[in-house]
Amino acid sequence: MSNKHQTWGWMLAVDFFFAGAGGGMLVTAALVELLGGGIRMSMAGNLLGPAFMCIGCGFLILELGKPFRVWRVFMNPKAILSVGAWTMSVAVCSAFLYGAMALPFPQIFWRDWAGIGKILAVVNLITGLVVATYPGVLLGRQKGRPFWVGPGIMALFMLSSLVTGIAAHYLCGLVTPAPAAAVWKALPGVIALLLGFQLVLWIGYIWIKQSGTTEAESLAAKRWTSGEMSFAFKAGFLSLGTLAPLVLALFPNPAAQAAAAALVLLGGIIMRLLVIRSGDDRTFLPGEKRYNLRLPTGSETFLHKNWH
Amino acid sequence: MTRYAMVIDTRRCIGCHSCTVACKIHNELPAEMVYNPVTTVGPVGKFPNLSLSFLPLLCMHCDNPPCVDACPSTASQQREDGVVFVEDSKCVGCLSCIMACPYGARHHNHESGTVAKCDFCKHRFEIGKQPHCVATCHQKARIFGDLDNPDSDVSKLVKGNRTVKLLSELDTRPSVFYIY
Repeated sequence: MSNKHQTWGWMLAVDFFFAGAGGGMLVTAALVELLGGGIRMSMAGNLLGPAFMCIGCGFLILELGKPFRVWRVFMNPKAILSVGAWTMSVAVCSAFLYGAMALPFPQIFWRDWAGIGKILAVVNLITGLVVATYPGVLLGRQKGRPFWVGPGIMALFMLSSLVTGIAAHYLCGLVTPAPAAAVWKALPGVIALLLGFQLVLWIGYIWIKQSGTTEAESLAAKRWTSGEMSFAFKAGFLSLGTLAPLVLALFPNPAAQAAAAALVLLGGIIMRLLVIRSGDDRTFLPGEKRYNLRLPTGSETFLHKNWH
Repeated sequence: MTRYAMVIDTRRCIGCHSCTVACKIHNELPAEMVYNPVTTVGPVGKFPNLSLSFLPLLCMHCDNPPCVDACPSTASQQREDGVVFVEDSKCVGCLSCIMACPYGARHHNHESGTVAKCDFCKHRFEIGKQPHCVATCHQKARIFGDLDNPDSDVSKLVKGNRTVKLLSELDTRPSVFYIY
């Protein structure tokens, strides 16, 4: 008998991380292309963005109960997951076409088409923003999940996707230097700024949930401040994943700034793991929690004796 | 227009769990899946004024079901008579509907990989029989029928009694009414 979860697991959190970071990378590269007069971010960064999205899709498929039916997730235009799947598909194709223009192969025939860079950048910007944001929309619409419900989580996910995308671009620029060198050098400052916003937003979000909303939301938020998730949240996400990189990014030292970028990525994944874990909280109906405690977990001796 | 609903009279329910067992047996559910739990509420109050009640739970077959729009594969569907069900052959097991349902009425079947739930025993009421949980209840605490038929028992009970719907503030508009 399986003890698999009845809620989303860590693989969806990893999917959200890679998809979000990939979306953030697409947005960053697109903004630089459109506002920088045609200069581009590093080749590694431009190719890693869609690659991240593909990795995210891989984890999403592994999370499914029926992975071979994955094509069916495109079927319902009213479902946020379907919108995300379609948008991500367009984003991956467009971003790979854009990133491939830096490769020195004659087969990249579209490289010389007039304006193709800007057109793909516009597509990447829109689809990247959607991919960066849609997990937050998906979670915010879950009426029965008190920690998620509401528009705030959408902002948290969008911000995290942008900052992780920028951090990933910074690290990629260390591997293959970015033609937009001045922009690349300014990225740590942008990371520090966004991390400051992230810190304020998260503190505000937790405070509002804990003090200003329903009892179920307050209890869900307390798991983050004083419950079983508080250590991972405070030490992992707030300290290691937000404050530490914020400080390190301000040092004019490439090693410190690279460490900051790596910590931002770590913080992004910790955040998503915690958020998905908080989906275990539901507005439970009277007597439901006590009832669920009595249900078999699958490891009981009598089940193994009689059923197997 | 037919609109199926269920009325649960909590004054009659004695918490015997016969409905839970009947549903489990007839739907051949795995050990960890329960479509029809009966929870115990209480005891509440101060001695000697104590009270205990039982709350049968099931899929609410909401008029505004969040699970249907959440399903990316259109496996989760709502019929015109209001019954919400899962078409197993389309389900990809993404658990979006489980996360969307505020009532915990959906369950991931680990053996098949898909999601399953109460469907009001639609294969039974289509041939004039009652759902298993209704037919089994010896206390007649469960009543099932067409809410849009003014002569039906459910319609009369809803009009003639004080009823509540669970989590009505979420605007799901459940089709299960509780008399308390």
